[in-house]
Amino acid sequence: MTILNISRRGLLGGAAAAGALAALPIPAFAQQARRGGRLVVAADSEPRNLNPAIVASNGVFFVSSKVVEPLAEATFDGLEGRLATAWEGSADGLSVTFTLREGVNWHDGRPFTSADVAFSALEVWKKLQNLGRVVFKDLEAVDTPDDHTAIFRFARPTPFQLIRNALPALTAVVPRHLYEGTDIAANPANTAPIGTGPFRFAEHKAGEYYRLTRNEAYWGKGVPYLDEIIYRVLPDRAAAAGAIEADEIQLAAFSAVPLADLDRISKVPGVEVVTTGYEALTYQLVVEINHRRKELADLNVRRAIARAIDKDFVVKTIFLGYAVAATGPVPKNDAQFYTADVPQYAFDLAKANALLDEAGYARGANGKRFALKLLPAPYFNETRQFGDYLRQALAEVGIDATIVNNDAAAHQKAVYTDHDFDIAVAPPVFRGDPAISTTILVQSGIPDGVPFSNQGGYANAEIDAVIEKAAGTLDETARIGLYHDFQKLVATDLPLINVAEWGFTTVKRSSVKNVANNPRWAVSNWADVWLDA
Amino acid sequence: MTRRLFSTPEGIAGTAILALLALAALAAPMLFPRDPLSIAGPSLLPPFHDPAHILGTDRLGRDVLAGLFHGARVSLAVGIAAAAAALFVGAVVGTIAGFAGGFVDEALMRVAEAFQIVPGFLLTLAFVSIAGPSLPVVVAAIALGAWTGPARVARAEVLSIRERDHVAASRVVGMHPLEIALREVMPNALPPVMALSSVIVAGAVLTEAALSFLGLGDPNRVTWGAMIAEGRAVLRSAPYLSIIPGIALVVAVVGVYLFGEGVVEASASRRRYQ
Repeated sequence: MTILNISRRGLLGGAAAAGALAALPIPAFAQQARRGGRLVVAADSEPRNLNPAIVASNGVFFVSSKVVEPLAEATFDGLEGRLATAWEGSADGLSVTFTLREGVNWHDGRPFTSADVAFSALEVWKKLQNLGRVVFKDLEAVDTPDDHTAIFRFARPTPFQLIRNALPALTAVVPRHLYEGTDIAANPANTAPIGTGPFRFAEHKAGEYYRLTRNEAYWGKGVPYLDEIIYRVLPDRAAAAGAIEADEIQLAAFSAVPLADLDRISKVPGVEVVTTGYEALTYQLVVEINHRRKELADLNVRRAIARAIDKDFVVKTIFLGYAVAATGPVPKNDAQFYTADVPQYAFDLAKANALLDEAGYARGANGKRFALKLLPAPYFNETRQFGDYLRQALAEVGIDATIVNNDAAAHQKAVYTDHDFDIAVAPPVFRGDPAISTTILVQSGIPDGVPFSNQGGYANAEIDAVIEKAAGTLDETARIGLYHDFQKLVATDLPLINVAEWGFTTVKRSSVKNVANNPRWAVSNWADVWLDA
Repeated sequence: MTRRLFSTPEGIAGTAILALLALAALAAPMLFPRDPLSIAGPSLLPPFHDPAHILGTDRLGRDVLAGLFHGARVSLAVGIAAAAAALFVGAVVGTIAGFAGGFVDEALMRVAEAFQIVPGFLLTLAFVSIAGPSLPVVVAAIALGAWTGPARVARAEVLSIRERDHVAASRVVGMHPLEIALREVMPNALPPVMALSSVIVAGAVLTEAALSFLGLGDPNRVTWGAMIAEGRAVLRSAPYLSIIPGIALVVAVVGVYLFGEGVVEASASRRRYQ
């Protein structure tokens, strides 16, 4: 992070006399960051619980990552300290030592100490957080020898690589003095968070907006630049495009502007389309399979379905090119773990039909082999459209799929609790390490009701063994090797079918600067974002 | 009656439009034998550019004209089925209430009022989101919001008919009250109830479209409402995807209204000549 070191008075003076500012010599290599201004952005969902330590999801991070900070944030070449300045794992994998930042205060004025980290880790991440429950399951104790050191102690060897990869998304630190001794899940600070971040939470008007204001006492020097961030609730995607054209909002992240509109809106003067800044937030388009159906328990049928899907069509027509075809359970843009050396299933209808014949499911008199219930996830336009496409693709090979549309809550219940589906379309997120949210999609023995996990009744002892082994492998090369095996096994046995991977797009007014300067930009703290006059 | 129907301009126009729609609905499987939801060509082809897809294609490359024809089937089927169900339920409930009187009348009419104070569309929406979107459920849901009108009209008619001589005569010869209600009273009360049919069909077609637009239609069938909703995402770059099914919807509803007007005119003039 490059923070320009400018005195506040000088900047305010400059802003007051903007005309004079233009005459000042400005360094040619970078534009001078301007302090002040209100940034209005579109919010397409409106989470009530804004505590990122409990709900680690992008919808929550989008607002709360500006208020509540993690120990470290991702950059394009590794990690950068936030509340921790250094981290070191022991050789036996049983402990990780964090050196914490000094001189940091909570928004209510109390000092931030290692006790806050210990409390957050043991009471919140490990016990309550959707992702932390997996990664921190062996966390036994957090020692706090002084106010600025926290030593995580694990019951079983835990790979330091995994902990490092988990830092940006899983380690939001909440204030102990507000949560201790209360019902954490029902604490009022969950809806009006108090953190250490560059912005304070000011208010939430249901159905209208969230408002964040500048934290004058932020530990970062000279930042944040913005006075205020307003999240205007705009659930209608067409409205977001119109609002940005009219300059009512300055930024719409997470593809709030429909893909089909990007080409047109990129030509509007003063509006820019940014496709970077989501590298560490890769969404995967996946066909989930219920292996309890005897037809789908047959590997030949699953391979036939994989061959019936034209991934190029999906990328070009549904995602309009803003996606890439997937090869396996780890996305291509992950530099650490991805391997291309896995079995591939090219689009081939003749082969798909032959595989189904071979499996013993000949076409009946009406040209159909068997019927399936297809549940497309309702979260994105693209998942719904892919559901429409998949129904047609399956019809081409004689499988009669019936689409069942549900709202988000009913969809999660049907798929992950009641198992009332044959195939489903899901958009899981890859979070920088397969152990965080990817292996859970195929691992056996997961209780009913855990969302975005293997609820298709799939059990493969070989895959389970590799996942188990990797979870305790400390050597990073060996661990990566195991995940290469994992990718091969998944691509061979197809417990689910990976179709495509996509990042999102941001549409912004040209006046918004320092956008997409890290791989989790939309869910990072925006301290260095500024508005050109 | 038929001759009189064709003597009014409303009757002629309405009948012509409805005949065309019915023809389109019946001919759809012959003209477009493939599933109208199948991907037939390149995506977002504008209208009148490719003779294979006269009205163009949508976001996934589905033929708009095929969707329009097959959509007519669903719209008309839902409209007629929902209206038939609403008229049947309404006529029976209204007749029983009016004929029985007393406590039964009070009870049935309070039930009808309970349905009337909830906006019909809200009732339909709630029913579909609980029972799950499929064609029979949509028909039932629309009927649920529309049966009260016919019930009230039928009751009012029955109240006057039940005092007539032929009803009293039936009583005297010892007919069962239910038989009197259904065979002697209801047939005479029906004509004014039937006059409501065009209003109900038109309303049902619109309600079905609105449900599909909100994503609560049957996703395995093409409907005009769903086509409009699909096109909304690309409204700025391909407005024809919403406009074309929108026009179809307007034409269908206007057709049904005109036909209804024509029928009312015709029956009114018949009464005048009597």
